[in-house]
Amino acid sequence: MSVQKSWAELQKMHRACRIVVETLEALAGAAAPGVPTRELDRMARERIEKEGAKPAFLGYRGYPATLCISVNEEVVHGIPGDRKLRDGDIVGLDLGCVVDGFYGDAARTVGVGRVSEQARRLMRVTEEALRAGIATCHPGKRVGDIGHAVQTHAEGQGYSVVREFVGHGIGTRLHEEPQVPNYGPPGRRERLVPGMCLAIEPMINVGGPAVRVLEDGWTAVTVDGSLSAHFELSVAVTAEGPWVLSDPYPYGQGRESHA
Amino acid sequence: MPRPAGGGGSGESVPAAVEVPGTVLESLPNALYRVQLETEGRPLVVAHVSGAASLRRILPGEAVVVELLPYDAGRGRIVRRRF
Repeated sequence: MSVQKSWAELQKMHRACRIVVETLEALAGAAAPGVPTRELDRMARERIEKEGAKPAFLGYRGYPATLCISVNEEVVHGIPGDRKLRDGDIVGLDLGCVVDGFYGDAARTVGVGRVSEQARRLMRVTEEALRAGIATCHPGKRVGDIGHAVQTHAEGQGYSVVREFVGHGIGTRLHEEPQVPNYGPPGRRERLVPGMCLAIEPMINVGGPAVRVLEDGWTAVTVDGSLSAHFELSVAVTAEGPWVLSDPYPYGQGRESHA
Repeated sequence: MPRPAGGGGSGESVPAAVEVPGTVLESLPNALYRVQLETEGRPLVVAHVSGAASLRRILPGEAVVVELLPYDAGRGRIVRRRF
């Protein structure tokens, strides 16, 4: 059972998500050939702390950094290090922060320098799949409807959906119930109710869906070495429909309640 | 940051059920049965009936297999008959 957040709590979620997305925007601009991934991690931490927030991933189950950087065939949870970005790489940037007790979590995949047409298409389709999932977030729908929308879009474009990692509820903890898979039949799993907050995050591969985790215990890569992209936004279900929490409230001003 | 799929919430795993043989003593209201287990101490449990086993009515005296979870030692689920 996922916790329903009050209007005041959603405002706090909004603040955390805003910091994450603005930081990601700055990182996307800084991802250039020759930049070590460690440098992006340092920038992310500095920016988040300047905003009065704390990194959400640092120390989470022993994760050693602020940012997850997943390059090319890396799917998610890549650990920043000495690796330098190269022209033509695609780089997944996944970031979370906590401010005033509430978490924000978002990710995007960006191209470094001149990127192949295939990689650009993968990134576009993954972001579209995320938007398709978000669009289903109306009260009365179910968590399975989100995954179904994501899977239908991605597989319709000839790509495959990662099964081993899933989106999640978010709020006063980074990972809350329910799990939000990016696949599966519609009409199943938990019913969506106003005040639910979900991190929806499709991980889409050019090749097969299979992934494995490297010896560092974190970095997930595609088994067939194919490119993978990852986009994520934290979304609140409201009576009017989905609220992407890093955006302004989209259904008019001055509301006291979302229910 | 995606979480690994599967398992229970926040990394808790679902504890394994154990299956033990028993004998139905009496039928109780609400489709419950009192079952005497044939394990150490011959404990009594109140058991409900799993879907597959409920297709035919269970009568007192029948030999059954009861599934137990660590949450409540006094409760079980009849999963099948023994012959």
